[in-house]
Amino acid sequence: MAVTSKYFSGAEKGHETEHEEHDPRESLMYDPKPRGEMNAMVMESMMTTSWKFWVVFGILAFLVATCFIYAWGYLIANGLGVAGVMRPSYWGIFLVNTVFWIGISHAGTFISAILRVMKAEFRRPFTRAAELMTTFGLIQAGASIFMHLGRVWLAYWLFPIPNERQIWPNFHSPLMWDLLAITTYVLGSTMYLFLPLIPDLAMARDRSTGWRKTFFKILALGFRGTEGEWRHLQTAMNIFAFAIIPVMFSVHTIVSWDFAMAMRPGWSSTVFGPYFVLGALHSGMGAVAVVLCLMRATMKHMDYFLRKEHFDALGKLMLIVTFAYTYFFFNDYIVQWYGGDKWTDALLHWLEEGPMAWMFYQLLLFNLAIPALTLWNKKIRQNPWLLALIGFLINVGMYWERYLIVPVMLTINRMPFTWKLYSPRIEIFLTIGTFSLFLLFYLAASRLIPLIPVWEVQEGQMTHSLRKVGKTHVPTVSEFE
Amino acid sequence: MPDTTLLALFEDIDPAADAIEKLHEMGVTDDRINVISGVPVTHKMLGRPHPSTNVSRLALGGAVAGFCFGAFLNYGTPYLYPVLVGGQYITPVPPGMILIFEMTMLFALLSTFLGVFLDSYFPNYRPLEYVPEISDGKIGIFFKYPLEEQEKFVDAMNQLGAESVRPTEAQQL
Repeated sequence: MAVTSKYFSGAEKGHETEHEEHDPRESLMYDPKPRGEMNAMVMESMMTTSWKFWVVFGILAFLVATCFIYAWGYLIANGLGVAGVMRPSYWGIFLVNTVFWIGISHAGTFISAILRVMKAEFRRPFTRAAELMTTFGLIQAGASIFMHLGRVWLAYWLFPIPNERQIWPNFHSPLMWDLLAITTYVLGSTMYLFLPLIPDLAMARDRSTGWRKTFFKILALGFRGTEGEWRHLQTAMNIFAFAIIPVMFSVHTIVSWDFAMAMRPGWSSTVFGPYFVLGALHSGMGAVAVVLCLMRATMKHMDYFLRKEHFDALGKLMLIVTFAYTYFFFNDYIVQWYGGDKWTDALLHWLEEGPMAWMFYQLLLFNLAIPALTLWNKKIRQNPWLLALIGFLINVGMYWERYLIVPVMLTINRMPFTWKLYSPRIEIFLTIGTFSLFLLFYLAASRLIPLIPVWEVQEGQMTHSLRKVGKTHVPTVSEFE
Repeated sequence: MPDTTLLALFEDIDPAADAIEKLHEMGVTDDRINVISGVPVTHKMLGRPHPSTNVSRLALGGAVAGFCFGAFLNYGTPYLYPVLVGGQYITPVPPGMILIFEMTMLFALLSTFLGVFLDSYFPNYRPLEYVPEISDGKIGIFFKYPLEEQEKFVDAMNQLGAESVRPTEAQQL
């Protein structure tokens, strides 16, 4: 391990560092532990809570009770008049939150499905953490849409149910496509989260007592790990991995069409679909970096499962997504800029010099400049806290981007006499509420289900070995399927 | 004499595969053997027949059903309430593709998920033959054998490196 310690200490500088070699045993796949030990580590991390945990849990629960439940109840009781949405910005932060949370949800599918299909081995320990983000993010997105509805009890009007009032859904409306796409994605991603969780729930069932035993027993469904069960499960997971990818792309493309189908300055763009998908991946990857860093810092034994190599790989993905996002951002911007449309020009000047210009410049700084300039550096990528900070800033930038797209671009329209800046009111509390609920769900999940897919890690470790070639050992990966 | 079930527990795949081969030699057919493991071990590694699954077929069936349902919603229901606007088509094709796509995928995913439940008989809370060591990475081979030959089978499994060989019966998981 001498080479390894030298490599990570960073003590040697200059020419010699170019020749330092990475010790493969630093990688999770080449550093196996007995399965029983890994199970015990994951169970201990799940069962251990300190007073700090309960303090954070209590604060989040209080915020959810006040800013989510009470504030939403107040909104329902008093109507949308207590919100800041009004002409011309009928879509306010509710829609900003919807787009933002759907964006966050893309991380899970991307990491779990695309990397599974591509057989990217580094995905193994954090697929579940990412998949949970998908499910919890979509819950917040759905809640935000229902908040925006105002009279939420009439949501069933969206469904094609014959009724006396002759109110029928218009399947040719992008808003109706939204309902269908988000419903498909919520159900699909939740099932995709649950399927690979079953073997780990069975593991937890075998190692717990009391109410936890009952809880895991019910959720494990009687899984034992027979040849047939594994075969059905793996077939289903393969189908899900391929099928959920186009669904993922469709969801955020359809969300973009909510805007792009309208002939509005700033919205009417043919690249809005891929631009939104890339934006979603950008924020999702950043959020995964934040979550993984917090998991590693706050949960026991996570430093074994979540290593520098994982943050490094995630950082590389974030860098690639940054380039792609930058490309689409510039493409969208330059075409509108060159278009010469009077109202689009007004909007672009508003973005650059208007009262929300600070948001526009932060977007450029956080989404494009900082990740593109920093993630080149391996040491930054391998530092969990720095990567999490970059991920956090990306999400701040992405939130501003959605804010500019929704209420600000609604403000600058073709009727200048209606221009009025949107000022959120109760929406601010509800936004705090959705963020708190997301964190509360995550915190609860960290103590209720195994966040590390142990069987997938062990499967990966079984397929990896060091093969002696000449004077050295080279990492080798076998194909089990 | 009635048949009974014996569990042989192995640490690794290699001795487990050898044990299955030995069981075949001793006249135990594949339908009387069940292998349970904490990670997916392929049938080829163990020299076992390929386990069949209906999940793919169910997924395909679900996709077809979803396609039909999407087509019905898009090209059928609008005729129940024909709203003519500006001479536009009641059932245009391009926007209909979106609805059909989403319904196809939704039904395919739902039927895949249900397929796992149907094929695996989930949920199953009845007593089953199982030992918790399986989820610690051990490989368990359950096989039925004539009771009078117990000693012969136990010796064979022990010689092939079984960690433990014991009669087993169904228990609450």
